Amino acid sequence: MIKRLSPLASHPRYWLSGSPRGLGGGARQVGPVTYGERRRSSCAARAVEVTKIYGSGETAVRAVDGVSIEFERARFTAVMGPSGSGKSTLMHCMAGLDAPTSGHTFIGDEELGLLNDTRLTDLRRDRIGFVFQSFNLVPTLTAAENITLPADLVGSTVDRDWLNYLVSNLGIADRLSHRPSELSGGQQQRVACARALVRRPELIFADEPTGNLDSNASTGVLTFLRQAVRDHGHAVVMVTHDPKAAAYAERVVFLADGRIVGELLAPTSDAVLEQMKRLGA
Amino acid sequence: MRKVTIRGLLARKLRLALTALAIVLGVMFVTGTLVLGDTLNRTFDALVGTAYGKISFEIRGTAAFSKASAYSGTDRNPIPAALATAVSRLPGVAYVHGDVSGYAQFVDRQGSAIGSGTGNTLGLSFDPNRQLSSYRLVEGRAPTAPDNVVMDKATATKHHFAIGDRVRVLLPGGARTFTISGIVTFGGDDNLLGITLAGFDQRTAQALFGLRRHYDTIEVLAAPRADSVRLRLAIEKLLPRGVEVVSGRTVINEATSAISNALSFISTTLLIFALISLFIGGFTIFNTFTITIGQRTRELALLRVVGANRRQVFGSVLGEAALTGLLASLIGLGLGVVAALGLKALLKAFGVLLPSAPLVFEARTPAVALAMGVGVTVLSAVLPARRAVRIAPVAALADHTQDGPQSLRRRRVSAGSAVAIAGLGALLAGLTEASILVVGIGALALFVAGGMLVPLVARPLSSALGRPLAALLGAPGRLGRRNSTRNPMRTAQTGAALMIGLALVSMIAVLGNSLATSAKHNVDSAVAADYLVTGSDAFSSSVPAIISRLPGAVATTTVYKGQFEFRGSLSTIAAASVAGLPKTVNLHLTAGRGAPTMAAGQLLVDQNTANTNHLHVGSVVAVKFAQTGEATMRIGGIYAYNPLVGSFITGTGFFLSHFNNPLPNAVLVSTASGTRGFETTLNRALAAYPNLNIQSRAQFEQAQQNSINQLLGLIYVLLALAVLIALIGIVNTLLLSVFERTREIGLLRAVGMRRRQVREMIRSESVIVAVFGAVIGIVVGTGLGAAAASSLRHSSVTTVAIPVPSLIAFLILAAVLGLIAATWPARRAANLDVLRAIATE
Ligand SMILES: Nc1ncnc2c1ncn2[C@@H]1O[C@H](COP(=O)(O)OP(=O)(O)OP(=O)(O)O)[C@@H](O)[C@H]1O
Ligand SMILES: [Mg+2]
Repeated sequence: MIKRLSPLASHPRYWLSGSPRGLGGGARQVGPVTYGERRRSSCAARAVEVTKIYGSGETAVRAVDGVSIEFERARFTAVMGPSGSGKSTLMHCMAGLDAPTSGHTFIGDEELGLLNDTRLTDLRRDRIGFVFQSFNLVPTLTAAENITLPADLVGSTVDRDWLNYLVSNLGIADRLSHRPSELSGGQQQRVACARALVRRPELIFADEPTGNLDSNASTGVLTFLRQAVRDHGHAVVMVTHDPKAAAYAERVVFLADGRIVGELLAPTSDAVLEQMKRLGA
Repeated sequence: MRKVTIRGLLARKLRLALTALAIVLGVMFVTGTLVLGDTLNRTFDALVGTAYGKISFEIRGTAAFSKASAYSGTDRNPIPAALATAVSRLPGVAYVHGDVSGYAQFVDRQGSAIGSGTGNTLGLSFDPNRQLSSYRLVEGRAPTAPDNVVMDKATATKHHFAIGDRVRVLLPGGARTFTISGIVTFGGDDNLLGITLAGFDQRTAQALFGLRRHYDTIEVLAAPRADSVRLRLAIEKLLPRGVEVVSGRTVINEATSAISNALSFISTTLLIFALISLFIGGFTIFNTFTITIGQRTRELALLRVVGANRRQVFGSVLGEAALTGLLASLIGLGLGVVAALGLKALLKAFGVLLPSAPLVFEARTPAVALAMGVGVTVLSAVLPARRAVRIAPVAALADHTQDGPQSLRRRRVSAGSAVAIAGLGALLAGLTEASILVVGIGALALFVAGGMLVPLVARPLSSALGRPLAALLGAPGRLGRRNSTRNPMRTAQTGAALMIGLALVSMIAVLGNSLATSAKHNVDSAVAADYLVTGSDAFSSSVPAIISRLPGAVATTTVYKGQFEFRGSLSTIAAASVAGLPKTVNLHLTAGRGAPTMAAGQLLVDQNTANTNHLHVGSVVAVKFAQTGEATMRIGGIYAYNPLVGSFITGTGFFLSHFNNPLPNAVLVSTASGTRGFETTLNRALAAYPNLNIQSRAQFEQAQQNSINQLLGLIYVLLALAVLIALIGIVNTLLLSVFERTREIGLLRAVGMRRRQVREMIRSESVIVAVFGAVIGIVVGTGLGAAAASSLRHSSVTTVAIPVPSLIAFLILAAVLGLIAATWPARRAANLDVLRAIATE
């Protein structure tokens, strides 16, 4: 199921027509969308001709080079590519953490470039969840407080049942009163996952969430992310270097030198590995 | 290694600047104080030179009191005028002038007295001879007729008087009107330090000041080539007992040393406040270095890994401190000149009379300022540097930077307690011995101990203080509260600077409030009179008679005050007419009898004096008066301390026979109950004496409190700088914390914290730290203030009164200042680039 992308493939219209569900065998069963009918758009996040240039003149680096891509709702997408290929940069731009040099980014129907800082912050807090590779937690807060932080910031309460479900599913229920420094790396990442999901965001961005974890801990986190997509309809975009991790996704997008160079649906780790070899990574 | 030090400094420019600011301000204050002191000394020396520079010899009465203030002159008897004639006939004498001076105050065209009083008016016999006098006629003629007066140019200009104008002058014997015959200057100045001058011809002056055929002093100018030793011997031969001759040099030296004594009090006081500021600056530096070394653990460990030895690391940190201190001291030195001008303006605003003159910059000033600035900085960095030395090379590999050693607790408690006990001991010893130095050292030790012990309460206390903020602000408040407790050591040390500042402020507030309350209480219990008439100094002796003739005045008591020696020490004795005394003064006798013994010329002393001198009714004590010499007095009674009277009182008859033409100090009036409009009557009757202060008892009480409050105001202003430096410390710590928590703030922003919420979080932390310091400071200060006040129980303090509203106001002020201090760090934190923050290592 490997598909080399033609230049045409990076055009948004291609993605609109090439709906994943329509692709049959590649697609897996997805659970009901639980975030209601807030969004009419079928995709959770979208980038149109996004370019990000660092520096200027001689030393300018095109970290992301004219990328157009959509991340569908209720789908687990992995982003892969060699180091320095622009994965993190693309993700940051699409999450509203960074502004692209040119092009447009959308979360649902909302164009990020049109929002001021406060509205962008609120959008991040309410509609996006983050899991970073490291330093995910505020050291002064306990695990429980870290999880409810996004809710606390708006002064809203969290859904207790949902929270209990999350922590028990992640196996951190007995660690909730601990500070991050008292947790293992895997536990910290699982707390971060719980925080990312606690407000039931449409979309979760995870930048190498398993980068620092052993295979056991990785499995825990990845299974949980897949469950979030399958059972609860969240969209997950995960940057990873690990073909095994990528195999948890329903779709893998390959980046090289800031461009999208390939895509794989219903990947297996062997297929991912093969593709990576082919891309020279 | 030097390169590492300098690179390190450059990399931390901002931190450096903030750390330096604390020292800059401290050194600025010290420099300003020194420059002001030198300037004042120099100008006063110049004034003395102008005043006495030309005198060859001065003939004067010998000082009656051994320990009299060097140049008060009040204890010298006048000398016979005939002596001047005799001296002028001696060979080698070029010119002789008999000097007479006394109280003379001009009245302006609107009928108000010119000059606020307290020694800034002067009347004297004008000496037209330019060879000796420092006053110079610039317009008109010298006074020759009994109704002539010369006026200083400053007064004439300011109040629009010209030659030939009529001017009323208030004199010991009442008010009189004179014609202005001339305008004079003092040397090149329009007058002497703002002191108004009324110059009369010699005979008139003698009459006005009650010195018929006598002079206060005789000034002698020797002929150009006269042998001064022979001349002096010749003069000495003419002198009767009780009269002495001294050289002009001696006169100048006495005047100079008297003035520099007075000035050194001002300079010392200012210097104490400057040192307080510097001390608090030291706290800030200590804190900054502790934090930066905590943050640089990895870097320093890496240095150790690549081969730097412990000495080099120690030297690197101290070198950084020394450079910072030097730079800051140089800037502070420059700004000190501005500070000198500011201090001078401040003193002037609070009523201290100072000459205007160019600033004097002695070589000692930069030496002292630099030594202090660099010294404080380096000393403050020693402990952090020792901590840097203890960093093990393996720390370079460790993942987590430790927040700071927690295991020091027990040692800290014992060391802190030891210092606290030592400080307390010194404080108590100082209070009993009344040695300000020991008290200062004790207080210093207490503050250091406070700095060592507060970390123990930092976590629970700041957590408690943060609770309302967390409730009010939600998540940002909660996070700020957490941040304030995450490193109790840091919170404590940052708060400690403010603690010291506020401890001093509250101590002064408690002491001042106790003094003011006691003053009111004292006046209440001491004064029975309904009205008090006082002058800015003494006033005309015709006033009591005028008052006692007024309808409605039931009892009138005239109070005199003078200096005498009581058992060898200089004291003030009061005298009051006995007749109306019970109706005007509440003398609470504890032994003996009042009025009858006073009338009999016996002495009444207050309880304290009686106790310390083991006196009983009937004891006989040795006293000495300037005019009449040694005498003995019998103790007729003992009374509870009375602020109006002082410690000694006797009858008027006795007093008048031992003092030469004394002027009344106060007149107390009681009116018949139900008398209406007596104040108006009194004012109208005394309209001719605009220098008089006519007050009802309530007004008198208020005036007593006002003068205490004015002093408090001055001290608050001087302490403000210390508080400001403490605030800089808070700004500094917050900024360092923001740097340190860059990633964390980035994370918070990424998961949805708004900029405003970031600011709220930083502000909450700042307010908590500030209020934490303030609470401890106010508690400690209140304790110290209450202790100091109760140590004054025997003299002026009767009640220890805690000014609760003021203390609450200080607390609120501290919170507001904390908010202000957070402005910049909060803005910095809020404007952190989210992505960059996340990416920061
Ligand atoms: N702040 C920055 N300033 C300059 N260049 C940057 C910056 N951030 C990233 N880059 C450059 O942009 C390119 C893409 O970086 P990015 O971090 O997106 O790569 P990545 O695919 O996430 O790599 P990795 O797998 O190593 O995390 C790299 O060449 C990098 O050097
Ligand atoms: Mg990356």
